[in-house]
Amino acid sequence: RAMELPPSHFPAGRAAAVALGYLRYLRGGPGRGLQLRQLRRARRQDIEDAGHKYSLELELEDVLDKDRTVTCTAEVLYPLGSKSSAPEVQVTVQGELRSTQEADQDFYNRIRSLEKELVAENIPDSHGNVPPHLEPIHLLAWAASGYVIWQNSTENTEFHLAQVKHVKQVKRSDEDLQFDYVVLLHEMVSQEVIPWEVTVLWHPRRGARVSRDRRQPGH
Amino acid sequence: DQVLHIVPETFQQVQHLQLLCSTLMLDLWKPLQPEDIRAGEDLHIRVPAPLVQEVKDSLDQHMISYRVLIPDVQKLVDQSMPRERSSHKQVSEGYVYTEYHPMEEIYQWMTQIQKNNSELVTQHILGKTFENRTMYYLQISQPSNKPKKIIWMDCGIHAREWISPAFCQWFVKEILQNYKSDPKISRFLQNLDLYVLPVLNIDGYIYSWEKDRFWRKNRSPYNNGTCYGTDLNRNFNSSWGSVGVSFNCSSDVFCGSGPESEPETRAVAQFIKSKKSDIVCYLTMHSYGQLILTPYGSTTKPPSNNEELMQVGKDAAAALTGKYGTSYKVGSTALILYNNSGSSRDWVHTIGIPLSYTFELRDTGTHGFVLPADQIQPTCEETM
Repeated sequence: RAMELPPSHFPAGRAAAVALGYLRYLRGGPGRGLQLRQLRRARRQDIEDAGHKYSLELELEDVLDKDRTVTCTAEVLYPLGSKSSAPEVQVTVQGELRSTQEADQDFYNRIRSLEKELVAENIPDSHGNVPPHLEPIHLLAWAASGYVIWQNSTENTEFHLAQVKHVKQVKRSDEDLQFDYVVLLHEMVSQEVIPWEVTVLWHPRRGARVSRDRRQPGH
Repeated sequence: DQVLHIVPETFQQVQHLQLLCSTLMLDLWKPLQPEDIRAGEDLHIRVPAPLVQEVKDSLDQHMISYRVLIPDVQKLVDQSMPRERSSHKQVSEGYVYTEYHPMEEIYQWMTQIQKNNSELVTQHILGKTFENRTMYYLQISQPSNKPKKIIWMDCGIHAREWISPAFCQWFVKEILQNYKSDPKISRFLQNLDLYVLPVLNIDGYIYSWEKDRFWRKNRSPYNNGTCYGTDLNRNFNSSWGSVGVSFNCSSDVFCGSGPESEPETRAVAQFIKSKKSDIVCYLTMHSYGQLILTPYGSTTKPPSNNEELMQVGKDAAAALTGKYGTSYKVGSTALILYNNSGSSRDWVHTIGIPLSYTFELRDTGTHGFVLPADQIQPTCEETM
């Protein structure tokens, strides 16, 4: 009952974008930016009373470690019905991702030692540039927007992060770093570029957690 | 230039270093003055490139150990500052093809290109945009008594896809720079004329520079001026308004009030209709996605010459991949991307032009519309 799908056709591509969003949230951070090198294989199964399940074989790379790729299998289940509930995703990463321990600790120390809270906008800028000292903030935005993309995708959407419009650090009394982002998400099918507020907490050992997110009204 | 780190051990070493710094006028980063150099304390000196060897030899001679702290100062400087108008890739007229240019500069470039290559290039008016700006295309044509077929290429139908106009400019430059020396190009031009429209949606492009980097549509007003812009690539007369569009002006895929409702669409359609029998290939450049798209968007039913379209498309994708390994997918929009109607490519095919393609240039979402300028060259080279 599982149908093989051409990886170049959009249904498989959309499911892959969901899996990538989920993975970026789970495994991404200031020291690691995962992107899709190739979608190798895709199958779809229609599960009665549940939804459409896509089984994918992905080849991923870390933008900070491009010489190496890692295989990942993912299952994306889009639930039935018009109720907007997030797809269920399961992933298994085969092999090792490059360690981010040192980079994470450096970033953590650097931000904690800032006198003024970090504020930045337009990452990348209009010409695609990201100043090197903002690259970890950029990659953390990938992780944060990965959550939003995962939570808000359907079979009729495909989201990509277009730009970080604005980011503001919020100092906390506990050990987490907090960043309030406004990200611009590009949705392929409607072609809309949607501003989305995302608050993310991050800690070198605990990773990223989205504590609050909200689609900004209007365009 | 390099920055060296030295910890002088003896007073003699300190003296020698002080001498070196003052005679060669080296740039002391730490401490600030030669008189403050002390044994047992860190010394950082920036040594200009031409003096690096001499300084290192002198240190070796005096058995002063050192470590290279910064192997390339310029690189670090470049990394920490976005380059404004660097001139790494200067070409004959001084135009930098590896940067994104605002419309003013593209207009000037067209004038220059025609002036500098008048034996081959003529600039023509296609029409006017909604905001009354002139749309120009360049005709690259080798004089001959043979009637020639036409290849048409347009860029910048969607404002935010900056790599697209960058490619059209690059393309023109490549042809003009190499038509005498490159046998493939010269043979090409013996049999074909090239018509290039560097920016189709001029108003939108300017808006994406000045107001909203992610603007897509043109700038014609609707609903009493409360809403702006038609998606020009949904505005052509090919199954107009049927699928993949919105009739709501605030949508980014608003198809306009009717087929060819927009002046930009009409300008292109009129021209292509008038040259219909001579155009063999229509190319429209977009981003992003790394795709070579064939008709149709509104149906998965393949066009009559689908085999040929796919074969040529696949050959093109293979050649492209051969350059830097960038992979492109080939197929119809309805299968690979989404359903849409009113696209220029579909309309061109329905009026009888056999080879009609939409290119979605780099990348696949990592940067999306804000493709860094340092990818202009490889993107354009592989797409050539």
